[in-house]
Amino acid sequence: MAVNWADRVSAFSRSPSHFLSGTTAEAFLAELLRELRDDRAGYNVKVLLLSPLCEHPTLLCPSDSVGEETALELMSVFAQCPPKSVQFRCHLLLALTSVLVCTSCVSSRSPVSQDFLDLLLQLSQDPGDLHGDGALHSLRATACDCLRELEACSPGYLSQHIELLGGLRQRETSRFHQAYTGLHTLVLRNAVYQLTQETGAGAEQLKVLLGGNTSVAWEADQDSGRTNNTDSGVLFSLILGPMGSVPTLQTGLDCKELRSILSSLLEESYLLTPLCQAALLHRLTELVAMVPGVPPAIFRAQLLRLLGTSKVCLLHTTLLMKCAFTDSLFSAEDEAFILKRLVVLSQHPLLSTPEKLFYMDCILHFPENRPISCSDRDETLPVLLTPRLASALMPTVFNDSATMLARLNLLSLVYLEEGEEGEGGEGRGVANLYDHLMSLLHIVDSGGSREIVVTFFRAAFLFLLYFYHMERYSSSLVEKLCELYLRHTQLAPHLISLADHTQDSLSESDWAEELLKALQRVITEAPLAKLNLQDLRCHLKMLARVAEEGKIPQCSTLRFLSIIAPLPSSLCVSGDWRLGTSVLGVCRRLLVHPSLDSLLVPLADILQDLTCCYGDTDIQDHARLYYALLTTLSREKLTGVLAQGATEGGRQIKKRSMSSIVAESEGLRSALTIHQTKKTNAQVFSIRLHFNLTDEHYEELSDISVPCLFRERSSPMVKLRLKPLHPYPTTLQASAIFTTQDGLSWHTILPDIHVAFQQVFTPLPAPSAWGRGGKLDLFEGLWDELCSEGGDCATSLFCCQLKEGALMSLVEKHFLLYLISDWSHKEECKVLFFLPPQSHVLLKITTEEDAVHFDIATDNWQLLPHITSYLLTITSSQDDTHS
Amino acid sequence: MSVRALWIVSHEKGENVSIRFSRRFSTVEHRAKCLAGSSYVAVPEDGTVLQLLLTELGLSEPDKTYVALRDDCLHRQRSPALELHVDGPGKGILWPVLAVSQGPLILACLCLVDAPPEPRPPLANLLSVSQGLTLLAGLQTFLLGSGNKPDSEGPASRLAMLPSVLLQVCPLGTPLDLPALGAPGTAPTPAGNQKQPAWKTGLYRGRAVVNVALIETVRSMQYGNPSTQDLWDVYGTVTCKCEVEGVLPNVTVTLTLPPNGSPLQDILVHPCVTSLDSSILTASSVDNSDSSAFSGPYKFPFSPPLEPFRLCSYTSQVPVPPILGSYQLKEEENQLRVSVTLKLHESVKNSFEYCEAHLPFFNRDQMGVVDVKVSSGQLDVSKEKNLLVWTLGQRFPKSREVMMEGRITFSGPTPGPTDPLCTELTAYIKLYFKVPDITLSGSCVDQHSVQVYSSAKPRIATSRELQSKEYFIWNSAEELGVQDTRATPRSDSPTSVALHQPDN
Repeated sequence: MAVNWADRVSAFSRSPSHFLSGTTAEAFLAELLRELRDDRAGYNVKVLLLSPLCEHPTLLCPSDSVGEETALELMSVFAQCPPKSVQFRCHLLLALTSVLVCTSCVSSRSPVSQDFLDLLLQLSQDPGDLHGDGALHSLRATACDCLRELEACSPGYLSQHIELLGGLRQRETSRFHQAYTGLHTLVLRNAVYQLTQETGAGAEQLKVLLGGNTSVAWEADQDSGRTNNTDSGVLFSLILGPMGSVPTLQTGLDCKELRSILSSLLEESYLLTPLCQAALLHRLTELVAMVPGVPPAIFRAQLLRLLGTSKVCLLHTTLLMKCAFTDSLFSAEDEAFILKRLVVLSQHPLLSTPEKLFYMDCILHFPENRPISCSDRDETLPVLLTPRLASALMPTVFNDSATMLARLNLLSLVYLEEGEEGEGGEGRGVANLYDHLMSLLHIVDSGGSREIVVTFFRAAFLFLLYFYHMERYSSSLVEKLCELYLRHTQLAPHLISLADHTQDSLSESDWAEELLKALQRVITEAPLAKLNLQDLRCHLKMLARVAEEGKIPQCSTLRFLSIIAPLPSSLCVSGDWRLGTSVLGVCRRLLVHPSLDSLLVPLADILQDLTCCYGDTDIQDHARLYYALLTTLSREKLTGVLAQGATEGGRQIKKRSMSSIVAESEGLRSALTIHQTKKTNAQVFSIRLHFNLTDEHYEELSDISVPCLFRERSSPMVKLRLKPLHPYPTTLQASAIFTTQDGLSWHTILPDIHVAFQQVFTPLPAPSAWGRGGKLDLFEGLWDELCSEGGDCATSLFCCQLKEGALMSLVEKHFLLYLISDWSHKEECKVLFFLPPQSHVLLKITTEEDAVHFDIATDNWQLLPHITSYLLTITSSQDDTHS
Repeated sequence: MSVRALWIVSHEKGENVSIRFSRRFSTVEHRAKCLAGSSYVAVPEDGTVLQLLLTELGLSEPDKTYVALRDDCLHRQRSPALELHVDGPGKGILWPVLAVSQGPLILACLCLVDAPPEPRPPLANLLSVSQGLTLLAGLQTFLLGSGNKPDSEGPASRLAMLPSVLLQVCPLGTPLDLPALGAPGTAPTPAGNQKQPAWKTGLYRGRAVVNVALIETVRSMQYGNPSTQDLWDVYGTVTCKCEVEGVLPNVTVTLTLPPNGSPLQDILVHPCVTSLDSSILTASSVDNSDSSAFSGPYKFPFSPPLEPFRLCSYTSQVPVPPILGSYQLKEEENQLRVSVTLKLHESVKNSFEYCEAHLPFFNRDQMGVVDVKVSSGQLDVSKEKNLLVWTLGQRFPKSREVMMEGRITFSGPTPGPTDPLCTELTAYIKLYFKVPDITLSGSCVDQHSVQVYSSAKPRIATSRELQSKEYFIWNSAEELGVQDTRATPRSDSPTSVALHQPDN
């Protein structure tokens, strides 16, 4: 079945990761290459097959070696391709360039990339095609484009071919001379850049470079080419504004050759498309900037043509030229003219919006001949931009959003400056901008589209950014926004966003607080009768934001809540969950409000009302929780617990969440739930240790609390009392829950606790009055009983080699507590272990001729393996120490 | 100077969105990686880019009234370059993304930043930005045609041609040229030592024919209110189609003004213009007008491309608008009293191709009784009953003044269209007219002044005309709080119009 390559390739481009999850890059590459070699496949399809290689070469060729192999394959496909399939051959060259550049075969000068370079050079100078048909011209042009890209990605790659490329450029008369020009210029620019990096390079080296003594140039290139692999400086544009410094090549005035090349390039620049002309002029600007021996005046003949142009890229090049050469090419008159031109272009009826926005951006980064400040990053006004000149860019309600905001921004800058310089007052300019803002507000008020609403709030934010200090406007704006809000409560999120951002951006201003305070007032004072559910939701959203302000008194908010919460008709009985969450959202913030002390009783009442009457269980539960928190937690703990959620979650998350309560309870949960941790904390409080049994041999352990811990102090000891049900060794799993200084609770797994068999041993629980004799009698009695009885009783013998001294120290070390016989009675040691709750192990240790005998008797035969392993452990360790 | 990637998206008002074409330029991406170093942000897959792009353009989630990421007031909508905030493993900001939107298509590209990434360089320092803008505009024209109306065959067939078009104009991410709009020209012929311009796809053979069309457009905002200045502006374009033999033939077009004409301002020229006199560029609309300024003749020597092109454009300050109007709308006992006067200025030739006045009504019910008389022309009520169309035909009466007087009730069964601006008595008349063979500035291209340096005698045709665009006359009976001193309406949509502030 034929593969539908169009679909496969488009599936790959749409989402390479998804596509490759169904196959592998290796397999897909193999498929592509197989199909490319297949003679039956049409060239239209083959062009398609190359696009994954062009667009995602590194995905398909993950390593340099795969890249190399792929390139070799493509080269052989190229060699076998009939010359008339020009489009396919062009695409092949592009694919080869992509693969070789992106897999760094070019930068490492691998053999296949050298072969490809030779191929491209050969194609680019193919004389057989000089008088051929147009189609073949385009192959040569593509070869040039590929060469240019190789040079762009690996600067200096072609520097040994400068003279050849210059010759080709001059020879070419078809319209594809443009490709040669672009190539030649870039190679020239990179080569001169390299010379500037070489110490002591000057006119002589430049002459060598241009004059075609390629062997010398080649050597220089080889060296610098290698060092430049890591230096990306050559890739950067050299025109960077007043802060950038351009590396220079000191040649004196003796650079005739370079000048003549530049002149010829400039002379023919007119013949290039505007895009290529702009690129050429940019490269030449960089070149001349690097070689002080060539005066910038070389560009003068082109300037008028460029200044009058309607093409954005050409005018832009002129600005870059001005940036590079300032007053050595542009007079003060020129500067004034260019600025005026930019103002004209920023509002020209025949230009597109993006172009106009770009020109406005250029005004704010205008390359002045004598900039006052050196910051070339921020928006600054050129000195020559007078309010009169800028008034052409007054925003109007007829502008599209972006244009209007750009104009507002620019004019704000202008009037801000004017206000400062002038009578310190508020010129008509600011008033005009404010009026404009009010016109927008009026449109919003009359039901403007979403776009206009968003634009208005952005405009308001911009205006405040510049003029928040002008009381007259800022307080009037608060008033107007409140009126607007009451008529259109759905604007609540916009107003909150405005408050948030002005607060963040203008830390020195309390405008946001003023706005919120005013909103609180209008909301709480508005007649309740007209309130619908939608308005109420928005009001609560708004009040929740107001409640975040520690400095705003919250009494009126509480009064509002206490009126609406018990409203039997609408709110409580309806049991609207979303509405309930909104009410709780406000309460939640009030719980952490600095003035909580004065709010305590009414807030508790509201929460109680919600708990008892609200028609939604979830809301009731939440309210009950808040009530419990409010009434049981200390003020500090409450703040700690709830504030945690607020700062952790931050405003961002809250804003993005659909309902405020979701974020709310998330924050709360974060404070009230326990987090998993592995990190160590410098100061932890209230550790609670918890133990889990791994078997059923012991009784459950209760948790242990440690009230306070300090890292720098010695840690307190914790004793664990285990109550065995069966006296076997065991392992306990332990974990700890602790609180850190930031109020969060954490859960951490501690290492397992191993309880060894011998840790279960206890001495014979005999009354102290018995004395040794009584114990001995008991021992003998028990022994006899254990040896005679069946059931669970058992006896056993354990033997080992031990010297006498070793035996003595073993007994002393391990059995002393349990020894029944007299210590001096060395022939036969009698040892009794009591293993709670009711097991006994008795040992008689005697030294026989061949070995030490441990006679064992127990009333729990299941203990025997543990006893043996225990004895083995202690005797062998004793053995080690004594051997 | 290159772009890292290119996308073409189609949508219907934010819905049915899909990426119709995308191209990543891997070698440019390779350079971007070297240039940005540790601050490099890779381009995510198309689906992700699409979502991010729509959010930035305010088109995502059209059914929601507020989405923080989309509607936040911190958003820098005023910049021509967007930021795409990439989340997830390759987190970071893709910048600068340029986007142009027209009709159903959004074209976007990500420019290469060939400057140190931190701190972020100004756009003005990046040649790739203006190159990207140029490329997008070229592709836009190629896909949608140069007019406002999309190509009749739709962009689909054009989209299919993009791969081969890009091979020509942007093979490796560096834009070289703009897509040719017409059929490719005749085959290039070797031409001795003369280099053929790269912007000329072939050579013309045959008799020289030169067409020069001068079109002036007038826009106006008339308020009829002493406190608010009426506004109008005029701009002209000279479009040429030149069929002249030779590799680099010379043609000169000269624009002349009448003796008392005010200088042409803000002149912009096509890149094929070979040289310019500095005096041509001096007059500017944002400057103090200087009566002693150069006022022609304006000579434009150029070597023409094969396709039609806009040789130059200019603006002009004319002392009066061609048609001065007055519109009075008053509420009287549940009906509106309408009174309109239109006066054609004596300097304007009284010979129209067409002239119509439209009186739309918003935020009201449909029109009921229309008892309106006109002194000239013909009055129609639109089918939807929310618009009066007054057709003035080819000429004004001898008095050069026409009037409309009458009453309208709005008692129709259904409400008419709404508009947030044209509330209450805020209303306007919009004029549509075209006058052949005149210009307001008085500029003209004399057939005999067109010089073509060719062996055979060329056939030369010139024309000129005046047309209206966004020509509004507002209700002067209503106090308009107009603050916008240079109102330049942007579209025919009524939602983009109005400056009404009853509170002031």
